[in-house]
Amino acid sequence: MKFFDLLVKHFSTFTSAMLVTIEVTIMSLILATILGVVFCMFKLSKSRILQTLANFYISIIRGTPLIVQIFFIYFGLPMALGFRWSLMTACVVIMSLNAGAYMTELIRGGIEAIDKGQMEAARSLGLSYAQAMRKIVLPQAFRTMLPSIINQFIVTLKDTSLLSIISLRELTQNTKIIVANNMEAFIMYGTVGLYYWLIVSILSEIAKMIERRTTYGK
Amino acid sequence: MASKIIVKNLNKSFGKLEVLKDVSTEIEEGEVVVVVGPSGSGKSTFLRCLNSLEEINGGTIIVDGYNLTDKKIDINKVRRNIGMVFQHFNLFPHKTVKQNVMLAPLTLKIMDKTEASKKADEMLRQVGLSDKANVYPAQLSGGQKQRVAIARSLAMNPDVMLFDEPTSALDPEMVGEVLNVMKDLVRMGMTMVVVTHEMGFAREVGDRILFMDGGYIVEEGTPDQILNHPREPRTIDFLSKVL
Repeated sequence: MKFFDLLVKHFSTFTSAMLVTIEVTIMSLILATILGVVFCMFKLSKSRILQTLANFYISIIRGTPLIVQIFFIYFGLPMALGFRWSLMTACVVIMSLNAGAYMTELIRGGIEAIDKGQMEAARSLGLSYAQAMRKIVLPQAFRTMLPSIINQFIVTLKDTSLLSIISLRELTQNTKIIVANNMEAFIMYGTVGLYYWLIVSILSEIAKMIERRTTYGK
Repeated sequence: MASKIIVKNLNKSFGKLEVLKDVSTEIEEGEVVVVVGPSGSGKSTFLRCLNSLEEINGGTIIVDGYNLTDKKIDINKVRRNIGMVFQHFNLFPHKTVKQNVMLAPLTLKIMDKTEASKKADEMLRQVGLSDKANVYPAQLSGGQKQRVAIARSLAMNPDVMLFDEPTSALDPEMVGEVLNVMKDLVRMGMTMVVVTHEMGFAREVGDRILFMDGGYIVEEGTPDQILNHPREPRTIDFLSKVL
């Protein structure tokens, strides 16, 4: 059968491309989480400058297409500032900045969903703001945020396919190259779709498992 | 007797709304002060000012000799000695009952694990909930939650306890168990400020009642003076509705 022959023949490139996709996704999300926490603190801070900075960042990222961000950061920035960077670095930076904006809003939403009384109870016991955040508010916020964080993981994973436009050899780019050679667009794009769907399905299942685990005494 | 809490010309507004107007009073060591009044009278806000949960707009509050309006004091240190119990309990839902009680002494490094555990057992015994040490708050009734909240505050060995309508969110049959725990504290000589609608409690254990309305302390005196012989028309009017 032609389908299985093709599947076997291209299995190794698909696997290495899948690893690239996953690598970019995971590295970007780790950085995006850090960006998210930092910018969320900016938003919750009393400083107008920091608030404005965070709002500006989120507004820019949400208000422009990812593909424009890709071109701007990969081609535009090095040209304007006169430096070079590796494709992989650029890709991780792009995806981190993009996901970071969404993570900021997500983390803020999680913190604000926690009843004000939790912070007050912790403070009234003598805990500092930072201690109360770390011990009381953030652990609870994280639990409410978890489904949205996994969702962001899924979105970012699928968005990495756009990096094919600057020829990062992730799943989609890999498929493009194969199709250019063998013209089997139906089978090959079907196969790559299957790969994405499989990874996303596994992630969703993991999310459900974690959610069930973190319910306290209910 | 020494004054534990001194409030002088306290003013507090939320935006344009003046909630407390020139409130002054002194609370002595070991005294049990019950604050009553209609809703919106400022009594909860008054209580929340006593441990700086609300920023005040004018006046001074001195607790344990610390001036709360002084920017240089470490408010976290002062709060260690002021326990607070909230209307909605505010237990930490992601911690077990015992972890709730141990959290502050451990986080603030006042006790080591063994001491904190011993203290928690002792406090839970005091509020009659030793058997609930390892369950999560979601599995407790309202009355039990409030007793845990009291134990959690007591674990810090406070010398003042503030109660913000501790029984208002409870089903009627659970009010008694919480009031009994509070009465135990009174017997131990705790300095207490209690905002409540429980006039029976005020009469039985209160040393003094503050009647507040419209942001003022309208009248204050012993339970007998206030409940049996009120002088101010607003006090008379309020009591005629609640007694």
